[in-house]
Amino acid sequence: MKKAHHLQVACGEVGEFVILPGDPGRCEHIARHFEEPRLVASSREFVTYTGKHKGFSVSVVSTGMGCPSAAIALEELITLGAKHFVRLGTTGALKKDLKIGEIVIANSAVRTDGTSLEYIPMEFPAIADIDVTNALCEASRKKGIRTHIGTIWSHDAFYKGSVFADPDFLERERWLIDAGILSVENESSALFVISYLRKVKTGTILTVVANHHTREVLVDEERLLPIFDLMTEICLEAFEKLNTAKRG
Amino acid sequence: MEQIQYHIKCRKGEVNRAVLLPGDPGRADYIAENFFTNPRKVAANREFRIYNGEFEGEPIAVCSTGIGCMSSAVAIEELANIGCQYFIRVGTAGSLQAEVKPGEIVIATGAVRGDGASREYIDPSYPAVADFSAVNALRRRAEKEGRPYHLGIIRSHDAFYMESPFAFGDFRKRIQLWVEAGVLAIENESSTLFVVGSLRKVQVGSILVIAGSLISGEEAEYERIKGSVDLAIKIAAGALVDLLKGESEK
Repeated sequence: MKKAHHLQVACGEVGEFVILPGDPGRCEHIARHFEEPRLVASSREFVTYTGKHKGFSVSVVSTGMGCPSAAIALEELITLGAKHFVRLGTTGALKKDLKIGEIVIANSAVRTDGTSLEYIPMEFPAIADIDVTNALCEASRKKGIRTHIGTIWSHDAFYKGSVFADPDFLERERWLIDAGILSVENESSALFVISYLRKVKTGTILTVVANHHTREVLVDEERLLPIFDLMTEICLEAFEKLNTAKRG
Repeated sequence: MEQIQYHIKCRKGEVNRAVLLPGDPGRADYIAENFFTNPRKVAANREFRIYNGEFEGEPIAVCSTGIGCMSSAVAIEELANIGCQYFIRVGTAGSLQAEVKPGEIVIATGAVRGDGASREYIDPSYPAVADFSAVNALRRRAEKEGRPYHLGIIRSHDAFYMESPFAFGDFRKRIQLWVEAGVLAIENESSTLFVVGSLRKVQVGSILVIAGSLISGEEAEYERIKGSVDLAIKIAAGALVDLLKGESEK
């Protein structure tokens, strides 16, 4: 059986529901929430685990940082039969009152990445699938978690648009703050655009690890892990709901 | 005395906060006369015809935008200035997909920003996305009516005679990119309404009835789609009622 070029995964080795973290190092931790998790492949920045949840097959596949590798992961997963995706990752707050550790659910993204532009002109909107987004919101509500839903900014140059960027960054990107953009990350725009073009469903859930106004940054892994656990549980609950709706 | 808005000729408090936005001024009359209880004309200037009324006992309004994003932006800006908060565009569109047929209903999740007006507001990388609660409210109402609908991205643009069944030359070549992208339908107002809505922090949704197909070239007689237009108006007005009620529950 031919394996997908970069992921090194064959058909039948991933579930229809996939969690997409950026960091390969997070896959093992996320897979611990699956029943019978097994490492399927580890190639470049793409680490794949597959297991079960409530009787259906789920996977976690890291995308690496940025839209170029995220697009590759998504494209190859689609050819392998995956249909529902949730990007699960971290983000930096552009909105002043977003606090470290809070949860953002993106319903759309400003697309200044290069990858999605190769697919389709910029005026095409990067929009999350509304069923996945609704399922994530509902699962969060059920857990009593307050979330922020809205538009985020996906871009390519981390050191031009992050807490580590030059001090002029906030002034340069004032238009995004004025437009009410919640936060910034590096993968969702291409994932949303490609998903619409390929007719699969993708949403995004993120936790705030930096605030660009206070320049506060969360690096304490001890504090971050429970938040990743929580977001993974929200994903799995959302997948469960989507799986039921699909059969219904 | 609050300042009168330059084009719509209304003041703060004069227009109910939840507003249907048809393109055609004639459709504003039609909606007020046939769907509102106790309709009252508030103003009529240029292409902006405004009525207040009640739907299911809740105060709503209708304001026509005229054709195109230019006048639509004027309408929503001035309505937002005087305190309007919820907007549903209800109109017609041309199909870009073989399976989206004349008389069928489309609920837009977002729009390709092929218009000029929204670019003056913000870079084209910013998404024209429909308000999340408005889309959910429209879906729930359509489901309640037992009416199937298409859900997805539409294209809004400015030059009707470049991309329509009436366009000159090979219009199919011009729309091919969007057809292949799975864009459902094409019209002339939603992109700017979504963008200006997001920037002004008001909620905007859009429900459209397919009047013709750019794929088959078919143009439906109005009589054939009239029932669908009536249903779309009912769904849109119902969604506004739900948005108002959701607000009071918060």
